[in-house]
Amino acid sequence: MIRRLCVLGVLLLLAACGGGGGGAAASSGSGSSSSTPPPALSNFVSMIVDNGPASLNTGPNAYTSDDAAFVTITVCAPGSTTNCQTIDHVLVDTGSVGLRLIQSDVTSTLLSALPLETDSSSNPVGECYAYVDGYVFGSVRQADFTIGGEKVADMPLQIIGDTGAFSTVPSSCSTGGGTNLNTVQAFGANGIIGIGVTTTDCGSYCTTSGGFAAATYYDCPSAGCSSIITRASAATAPFQQLPNPVAAMSVDNNGTVMTFPTVPNAGEATVTGTLYFGIGTQTNNALGSATVLTTTNSENVNGPGLVTAVYKGASLNESFLDSGSNAYYFVDSTIAGCTQTGFSGYYCPVSPLSLTPTIEGQNNVTASGAFTLYNAETIFTNDYAAAPGIGVNPNVGTSLQPYPNSFDFGLPFFFGRSVFTAIEGRTAGSATGPYFAF
Amino acid sequence: MAALLSATCLLGLTVAAPAHAALGGAFSSVEADRAHFAAKLSSRSAATYQVHTLTLSNDMVREYTAANGTVFAVSWRGVARPDLHQLLGGYFDTFQSDNALRGGRRARRPMGVSRSDFVVRTGGHSGAFWGVAVLPQAAPAGFSASDLQ
Repeated sequence: MIRRLCVLGVLLLLAACGGGGGGAAASSGSGSSSSTPPPALSNFVSMIVDNGPASLNTGPNAYTSDDAAFVTITVCAPGSTTNCQTIDHVLVDTGSVGLRLIQSDVTSTLLSALPLETDSSSNPVGECYAYVDGYVFGSVRQADFTIGGEKVADMPLQIIGDTGAFSTVPSSCSTGGGTNLNTVQAFGANGIIGIGVTTTDCGSYCTTSGGFAAATYYDCPSAGCSSIITRASAATAPFQQLPNPVAAMSVDNNGTVMTFPTVPNAGEATVTGTLYFGIGTQTNNALGSATVLTTTNSENVNGPGLVTAVYKGASLNESFLDSGSNAYYFVDSTIAGCTQTGFSGYYCPVSPLSLTPTIEGQNNVTASGAFTLYNAETIFTNDYAAAPGIGVNPNVGTSLQPYPNSFDFGLPFFFGRSVFTAIEGRTAGSATGPYFAF
Repeated sequence: MAALLSATCLLGLTVAAPAHAALGGAFSSVEADRAHFAAKLSSRSAATYQVHTLTLSNDMVREYTAANGTVFAVSWRGVARPDLHQLLGGYFDTFQSDNALRGGRRARRPMGVSRSDFVVRTGGHSGAFWGVAVLPQAAPAGFSASDLQ
């Protein structure tokens, strides 16, 4: 099944590369009637919002994906053009950083040819990485990475659920809580490409020992991983931490643009968009008239990538845009929740509800985050993979409502627009990251 | 008398300090957590409770104690979640079981617990996490969940 999907992935990739530029990410007003055809661009890849890897929909916990955007990537053994694998359904995530693949998706031929990153003790390096609903653990290896027309050689990536010395998750990783997302079904994808606002996945936090968190890098002798180690934060070779794959590219490395068409209210079975690399670096990724909302940076006590959402008069200063969130996540006890089994926490307004949050950057610039919230039970009757206006209340179940400081604008927000994500410290168009723009 | 009281308190701290268990534990567990995380500790008093802040690198944990010393709430923020087994103590297993994946429609939702005697809210994204855990029935009068920071 993986093989068949890979063939499909190759076809998608070829289709994307043959497009010669696709649609412009933002209208830049440049002429298109030149007699000399412009050089073909390759700084992009197709995204698809569909039901996800087939293996999600198997067994007693079967389900299909919704409102998640996937790309197809290629990884090769360093220096090889033949020991390569094309992997589809890799989740596009502006809320995290780093390329991570589920071990079971990687052929043994390729896996054995991906060098393990080693530490100062010459032991392999392992990594623990947290997501909002759990964590992953596995090895750090190097591969030649290709997405669309962009390449990064010898790039560190994580192999989630790797075996051998990595087979036992250190307790200091699992005590961060949540589910060990070490299978395709648990993870919801064959892998993830984190293209958030930072250049590496842990930054200065992991260059010195200390901190409460189980983030992150481990010394992994054959007996298993236990000691947390420091790793340098470099977005170019020689790498140690996992880089933001976009920051590590030789060109088009200041950010990304995610573009999706408008999705009808009733949803669609699948939706195809485009992920462009670079902002203002080519004719297809101009910032244009998009509004730049700068975010917190890595040094902020609350963490990077945050903006303020003003919702019904409340300033929620730990808000963010996150393509890896498959809904709008926000707290509003005045909106009816769904009641059907499996819809716990989803909003089910009686009729479509117009909501008008505004989003304010650290630069005090504001933009409208308005959207229409739909009844999730109604929308998902068709089991479409793409649905606008799906919301989830993470506080469902009790009247105690502490900490409503966040509004998460998930993938539905990305439909019908181009969203720019600029990387920290990189000049991108007329501004410098970190910022979101749309 | 004052000296005797101090000595008694010190003795109490020494004897009662558990290996871990903050939430629902005695005041002494705050010090146990400080030692566990090797963090800096500062405390301040609010109207009907005390707030103890543990800081280390760019991470922060706060523990809230009632007049009787019981830790009735904890909050955290940082690059990743802290050791919740340590901070939630005997409530960690409930936290885990209430957040287990159950199949069916998959929302990538923040973890939480919504029980009458134990409430957890978490949020954020990779690299910027936060959360609070509260024992509503152990919270002092006048305490509002919105006081948690």
